[in-house]
Amino acid sequence: MPAHLRLIEPALPPHVWRVPEFAQAQEAIVSTGHAALDAQLPGGGWPVGSMVEVLQARAGPHVWQLLLPGLAQAVRKQAGPVALVSSPFDPFGPSLGAQGLPGERLLCVKADKPAARLWAAEQCLRCADVVAVLAWLPQAKSAELRRLHMAAQQHDKLLFVFRGLNARQDSSPARVRLLAEGVDSLQLHILKRRGPPLEKPLVLPAWSRRVAALLDARKGPAPTPAPAGAPVVPLHRRSHVLDRTAAIT
Amino acid sequence: MYWIALRPSHEEERTAWGWRALQFTPRVAQVDEALLLEVSGSERLWGGRKRLLRSLVQGCEPLSGAQWAHGATSLVALALLRLKLRGEAPPAHLPRDLPLDALTAAREHVPTLERTGTRTWGDLRTLPRAGVARRFGAALLDALDAGYGDRPERYDWLQLPEEFDMKFELAALATTAPELMWSAQRLLTQLQVWLQARHRGVLALELEWTLDLRRLNGVRLPSHEQLTVRTAQPTQDISHLRRLVSEHLSRATLSAPVNHLRLRSIETMPWGGADKSLLPEDNVKGERLHQLVERLSVRLGEGNVLVAQAQEDHRPEKMQRWVPARAGGPATTNHADALYPPWLLPRPLPLEVHNSVPHYGGPLRRLARLYRVETGWWEGGKPALRDYFVARSEEAGLVWIYRERPLQLAQGLEHAQEFRWYLQGLYA
Repeated sequence: MPAHLRLIEPALPPHVWRVPEFAQAQEAIVSTGHAALDAQLPGGGWPVGSMVEVLQARAGPHVWQLLLPGLAQAVRKQAGPVALVSSPFDPFGPSLGAQGLPGERLLCVKADKPAARLWAAEQCLRCADVVAVLAWLPQAKSAELRRLHMAAQQHDKLLFVFRGLNARQDSSPARVRLLAEGVDSLQLHILKRRGPPLEKPLVLPAWSRRVAALLDARKGPAPTPAPAGAPVVPLHRRSHVLDRTAAIT
Repeated sequence: MYWIALRPSHEEERTAWGWRALQFTPRVAQVDEALLLEVSGSERLWGGRKRLLRSLVQGCEPLSGAQWAHGATSLVALALLRLKLRGEAPPAHLPRDLPLDALTAAREHVPTLERTGTRTWGDLRTLPRAGVARRFGAALLDALDAGYGDRPERYDWLQLPEEFDMKFELAALATTAPELMWSAQRLLTQLQVWLQARHRGVLALELEWTLDLRRLNGVRLPSHEQLTVRTAQPTQDISHLRRLVSEHLSRATLSAPVNHLRLRSIETMPWGGADKSLLPEDNVKGERLHQLVERLSVRLGEGNVLVAQAQEDHRPEKMQRWVPARAGGPATTNHADALYPPWLLPRPLPLEVHNSVPHYGGPLRRLARLYRVETGWWEGGKPALRDYFVARSEEAGLVWIYRERPLQLAQGLEHAQEFRWYLQGLYA
């Protein structure tokens, strides 16, 4: 090729991106609160107004560790509740409140039938006051998810959908698809994003800093079961933790 | 004097049209098939006849349109409206050339009068008055004089009722509740007109249907069945009420076929209009939270749409109470601590114990002792004596468990080594 001929970079339309790069974020984003995860998501956070799908073997674990920092930010910015559609357990206000999501900002919707869950999730998305919707939809089909995705897009809502691992092979309209696993640490595979595929899973802490600090203190240098020396716990309010009788066992 | 005659295109909307017309003038009357409005008093307020007519006839959003005509007296306006509905052009000289069959009082005498060659109002007026009065009665002459403007016209003026109460006869018997929706929507439209005219917002309304059968399969039936629909904030927005009513109707059952539907306002409040903002970011599209909560509560049941209310207690299951979001309540906060698990089980789950080790997805290894609770002794039943632990399970990760402690621990330990263990929360 003659030296004076150069390859001219074609101007890319906004929805087209090169494989080794991230797509430009078309919409507002909310930072996830995990720097490692922000770096791996196009735009640097959860996309507002499109679906984020989280696949898990069992519903429940890692949910709050993954979402709480982002939700706490969204809740600070905007008034209104976070809707939980048929969550596997009850959210515990005092714990979430300490991490930035006050318990009274939660709206729990319980529905058993898959159709009712979808309906409730869609209604929550269409409400102007709701900040974010977390929906557990193990049996949802791709077309139904697309409908939810469209609703989130129309009304600019954060939408997180939790499904089982068997949905991994199905197509999904979600902008970001994650797979969360692990027991002692949260291993996050990014199955789909607008950008290059991620080879190795991200490793995030599996529990909050406060719990981790407590466990570290407990592991501590010497696990001496000295009855009086036991409360090395970093508990401020609960310093009356142990009395002698309980330490016998 | 300036009169407008109106004829709504749907007959059952006549009352609602009357209420709408009351915004323009206090003098509205229902005469024969039409509505008559005397507007000379309020012409200037609306910026002239043309503008008044335009704002009266156009933009009648919830109602369907209406045919209209105007004239110097009510009977001329009415006669012109009748000609217009028949598709005839108005005569050149008013009221002289108006046909007699457009005058209500003359209708029964039209065949007789036509045989004498009397076809128009002018012809009738040239006949000797005494003879006409003797032959056809004084009422005809009175009507003719009123039409010419020689006699004052008096009607029973329409008044806006204090409460909305309207009945609708169904076109066909309805056997299932959703079939009532079409008629209910008609009634709701009229309710909206009434609310707009009264400047009120509705809080509660009652839908009542009349059963067509007195008894069914030997069981006596009530004559009516009701359904009450409530909303948290006064509204004139019929689309929200319509959705609420349709949710209610889709869950209702009719005990027999229904022939009449009646809508009644139970509770209304003065309404200042919807809040709007000039700033674009304040005008978010979508419905409000209370509307969402109401609709979810109606379809899923009130016990399935919940918000947490904080309570002062040391037992985690009593730290927050789940109350129906619809009932609402003051938002309260209790002390927060990130050491609590974010997921709480609805009720503590008894754990299997093998060799004094509780199991949940494998044996649980206790990682940290948290605290001890001794509370609830003032309530009936057993006091809560618990030691809380953070434990690790092979499958479920960190869990929050407690053991029930006997009342006197030292004695209890001698007598029974086995504690009962419970799972109460999950770290996630």
